[in-house]
Amino acid sequence: MENPIEAVDLSRAFGEIQAVDSINLSVSHGEVFGFLGPNGAGKSTAVRMLTTLLKPTSGSACVAGFDVVKKAPSVRKRIGVALQDAAIDPLMTGNELLRLQCVLHGLPKRSGEKRCKELLERVGLTLAGDRRVGAYSGGMRRRLDLALSLVHEPEVLFLDEPTTGLDPTSRMALWEEVRSLNQELGTTVFLTTQYLEEADQLAERIAIIDNGKIVREGSPISLKSAVGAPTLRIDVSEDSLEAARIVMTRFGEERPARRNRIAIGLDRGTPGITDVMKALEEDGLEVHHVELDEPSLDDVFADATGRRLEGGQA
Amino acid sequence: MSYKNAADASSVAVVYAGILRGFSRMRRLPSLMIPSILMPVFFVIAFSGSFASIVELDGYETDKAVNWMTAWAVMQGAAFSGMGAGGLAATDLENGFFDRLRVAPIRPMAIIGGLVGYCVCRALIPITAVLIVAFGVLHAEMPGGVLGFVMVYLSGIGMAAVMGLFVLGIVFTFRTLKSLAIGQIFMFSAMFLSVGQAPIQAIDGWLHSVAAINPVTNVIRMCRQGFLGEVTWSMTQPGLIALAGMVVGTSIWARIRYKKVDI
Repeated sequence: MENPIEAVDLSRAFGEIQAVDSINLSVSHGEVFGFLGPNGAGKSTAVRMLTTLLKPTSGSACVAGFDVVKKAPSVRKRIGVALQDAAIDPLMTGNELLRLQCVLHGLPKRSGEKRCKELLERVGLTLAGDRRVGAYSGGMRRRLDLALSLVHEPEVLFLDEPTTGLDPTSRMALWEEVRSLNQELGTTVFLTTQYLEEADQLAERIAIIDNGKIVREGSPISLKSAVGAPTLRIDVSEDSLEAARIVMTRFGEERPARRNRIAIGLDRGTPGITDVMKALEEDGLEVHHVELDEPSLDDVFADATGRRLEGGQA
Repeated sequence: MSYKNAADASSVAVVYAGILRGFSRMRRLPSLMIPSILMPVFFVIAFSGSFASIVELDGYETDKAVNWMTAWAVMQGAAFSGMGAGGLAATDLENGFFDRLRVAPIRPMAIIGGLVGYCVCRALIPITAVLIVAFGVLHAEMPGGVLGFVMVYLSGIGMAAVMGLFVLGIVFTFRTLKSLAIGQIFMFSAMFLSVGQAPIQAIDGWLHSVAAINPVTNVIRMCRQGFLGEVTWSMTQPGLIALAGMVVGTSIWARIRYKKVDI
């Protein structure tokens, strides 16, 4: 059986800006696929093409077995979409929006009513169902958006940055919901995110996108192990920075780090840290702070792009 | 119970849902509706009073200004209600809700139908408000009887549909609420360059030529005929043809411009 999401050389340009540049994707049935990248990397543009909302400039994509351009109505029937800005009319109530969504997906009135009740219960909004969405918190809106995208039991669910702007508790509740959807119903989930932890927690496979191109793809474990050695980071005063860099790069290759910090991939692994500290001390360099991290997705991103995804710089 | 593979959504159900949604929004945000009721009511009061003696001129075919101005105010109210379809679509485009409609497996004409259906139904409110004030307060007369009222409502909802479809085309093109201003310019041009305020005999020069070929002229005549005398087929037929032509033309325009937001 064909994969639910296949894209070949999919591209989209806006004037001279190449928002998505020849990406290839293949997502299997029942998989949670993470599409990770910074703001403006091309994640949402890719999702809009895959969900039939935007026409590709070149290349092709099939979702649920149908071409997104030539067979858009068939694709729309089989996908659920929760877009980046929860596409919700603030003047309507949660119940009204769900009922409208049932009509849009051809559910008969009686089963539609039943479905609305089930979904409100599922996302924990039963008590808020008759309140206007304008009075919902960000987390409630996202949960309602998720419920709306599930009305017709889609084969493929697209979640475009579903937890952006949410507090940690709401974020974790939404993760739990995505996990259970995937496990209970076997729904294929295509998730875009700029949060490393989210991709790490939820996705079985990840593609990292930067400047419209996919720069890495694989399971979080394989991507992290490909980066290799753990990262050793030290903070020193600004005037000792160059001297510390010379010492540290004897023990491994330099990695991107924020200001006044030096990071290296420690060639000898964790035991090598004592040698580094000894060498710095011998050169009279005062270390303010030391961190040793196993490779993270941020390291994978940095390795691929030369930049940090979370607040760092090369 | 599985909800997969439900039948395709019925376009009638989608249009009906669109109309209900529009009315529910209007109920919760009355400021959406109040101007389009007050404005034509103000028109009929102000114009009937200010131009009370104008009917002494040739061509007015009535001795009461209110009989002439009520049809004009009805058409204004209906046209403004039509703009409501564009307003709702523009709001949906700006806040992203339109993407929810576009990503649903429904026909674009069902989305357009819901928006236009809403503005057509909503036009009944200002039309009725104008008639209540015209007959209840300003003592308008309807020698055309029940058929005269039928013509008023028919022309009004027809004009609301035409304006709704036309403005939707503009909103689909520019995708902003601000683009409604362009629709307003066209609406005022179409309405004022007609026999809305004065009979064709009283209009001179190029305005006369434009008013003579402006299809809105025929619709206003159809609307007004019951206030001036009997309802006749010779006055109704050109109005119906003009409305049908404008509805078809603006439907094509709206559907073509929809492609600007759809892929």
